[in-house]
Amino acid sequence: MNSKVKNELIYTIVVLAILLVVAVINVNYIDGHKANIAQPENNSTVPANSTIIKVTGYQWAWSFTYTNGTTSTDYLYVTAGHTYTLQVQSKDVIHDLLIPNLGVQVYAVPGHPNQVTFEPTKQGTFIFECVEYCGQDHYLMRGYMEVS
Amino acid sequence: MSTIDLLILASVVGSLVAILVFAVYYLTASKAESLSLTAKEEGYTDSNAYWREQLYGKPRPLTWSIFTYDDAKSIGLRYIFTSVVFLFIAGAFGVLMRVSLFDPNPVIIQPIIYNILMTQHATLMIYMFAIGAALGFGYYLLPTQLRLKRDNMGHWSSVAYWLWVLGGALFVLSRSSMRWYLYPPLSLQLTPTGAGTFNWLAIIAMELIFIGITMASIIVLKVIFIDRSDDITLSKMPIFAWSVVFTLIMLLSSDEPLMVGLGMLFYDFFNPVFFTGATSTPLTFAVLFWFWGHPIVYIAVIPYFGLMYDIITRFTKTPVYSYFSGVFSLGLLMILSELVWGHHLLNSGLGIDWVLFFTSASFVVVIPSALTIFNMIGTLWKAEKIRLTTPMMFVINAILDFIIGGVLGVMLANQSVNEVAHGTYFVTGHFHFIFVGLTLGVTMAVFYLLYPTFSNGRVYDERLAKWHLYITAFGSLLMSFSWTVGGYLGMPRSVAGYFAQFQPYQDSAIIGGVIIGIGQLVFLYNIAKSWLAQPTTDPYNILEYRTETNQEIGGGE
Repeated sequence: MNSKVKNELIYTIVVLAILLVVAVINVNYIDGHKANIAQPENNSTVPANSTIIKVTGYQWAWSFTYTNGTTSTDYLYVTAGHTYTLQVQSKDVIHDLLIPNLGVQVYAVPGHPNQVTFEPTKQGTFIFECVEYCGQDHYLMRGYMEVS
Repeated sequence: MSTIDLLILASVVGSLVAILVFAVYYLTASKAESLSLTAKEEGYTDSNAYWREQLYGKPRPLTWSIFTYDDAKSIGLRYIFTSVVFLFIAGAFGVLMRVSLFDPNPVIIQPIIYNILMTQHATLMIYMFAIGAALGFGYYLLPTQLRLKRDNMGHWSSVAYWLWVLGGALFVLSRSSMRWYLYPPLSLQLTPTGAGTFNWLAIIAMELIFIGITMASIIVLKVIFIDRSDDITLSKMPIFAWSVVFTLIMLLSSDEPLMVGLGMLFYDFFNPVFFTGATSTPLTFAVLFWFWGHPIVYIAVIPYFGLMYDIITRFTKTPVYSYFSGVFSLGLLMILSELVWGHHLLNSGLGIDWVLFFTSASFVVVIPSALTIFNMIGTLWKAEKIRLTTPMMFVINAILDFIIGGVLGVMLANQSVNEVAHGTYFVTGHFHFIFVGLTLGVTMAVFYLLYPTFSNGRVYDERLAKWHLYITAFGSLLMSFSWTVGGYLGMPRSVAGYFAQFQPYQDSAIIGGVIIGIGQLVFLYNIAKSWLAQPTTDPYNILEYRTETNQEIGGGE
């Protein structure tokens, strides 16, 4: 085996090994966090201890409807240490809700409701925003999440 | 605007476009016909090659007549110069966008204008600059690199070129504010606050661009496979020719879904059945779009990989470290990149199984990219002497930027990172590292290399050219790095305003963006200055003409 083939083998194997490690980490994450990944809305896959919050995206605001029937716009009120499931739909065009501090991201697609589960751990005020371009005032489609 | 008005407008514009295309075709074809006769009388070896007296002959001075000549060299020059013009238009839009983000609230540019600039910047850069320059270098360099036997599809190439230019011009005129994704239902909102009143024109423009690049791709593939000299076998082709082959096969195999999708989208203006009806979902269009939209980002990179290989071999006087693995990994990249489009939609409710598939596939696609970069580093490693000319330094900068952008891409392929960073400036930073460093950088490298030939033997100022590189590289690093950090903290992309907490990242990105703009002005000044001076050298370049050294190293093993 000449040195060229040897070198090529070495760098191919090194790249493969690094990628394999990252891929295994990724598969583990997906396997352990199935509820935390955006998926089509289905009440039977909502975790048992989770409170459902109905989210509606429209041009250009987010509205949240809680289990007791109250609604808030551009403010999301949750309690730390409790599990929530956001069931997200859209009234008009495609939106995408992102809460960067919690790594919660879910598309709001008209006619295709999605859900995602998360558990806030820290108290405080965090930002959320729409990250799928949705028209003139897309940048104003943002708000604050109050964790008490 | 009512449906009837829209139909009338569409048909009027359609007819005008058809008349214009026919007029352009007729004028260029008849002019080329008469020139063909002249060429025969004057005894040129190739009846269509007005640019050269013979294949390796001395180039003629550049004139406007490249827009009427139909030989491959003239078509290539048209594509190269048009794409550079669109680069500067779209680049100016980009700098304007940057500057307008100086304040968290839109005070300099209204959101409605910002959204138009954003749409134009993305679409023009991808369809008019990246693909245009790649096709241009293909048309310009391949005839000499492959010693063409004949050059007989010039009229078709010319039509393809004019359709492409027309599409680009109509896209600018449409003032669409739909971003390049064109997702319905937003793209069906023909209002100034939605997709822009004339978004339907943008869709016609996109179809014209697609028809143009599809025709050109078929012709270039025909040039490579059928017209190349008999003594250049497939295994002796330069890697650039291979990279063009893979790019164009990828382009031809994945642009149909979006062409069909755009047609359905246009139908949806009148009768919304395909994407917004009761039994359909807009995600169908998103899938059609990304089935093309992911390969397109590789189309904007793979031909430039080929050019990088060629430039490296010329300036190190060393053959490619491993010709086989170079070609093989580009081919693998072509196949694998068709399988990963879903990673643009990971959070859209694809379902866990598809998320698992697309994230894992995204790791696999890194392997051929990494092999390509190692192959280039291997070539540099084996070289006894590396001539650090301006083009060579652009290529080295491209390798560095590709590594940074590539690693950020691997991070994005993790679902845990993707949930945080998708839709933020992290993604923008990831691909601007690659597009500014590699696509723009290598285009500039090749432009500098070919400049003596374009300009009939004028010489650009080497010092200014180096400054062009330093300024662009520094600006790109500052801009993309600020975006990456800000994006990881949740700074959303494609917004006209933002939370005040992100102002430091935006402001440093603005400085970076303006620096890139200044760098391109240095380039313009350099070109203008040397163009006004007298020719001082021979109008040959080492990429196109075979000297004794690159005769040996031009092909494979």
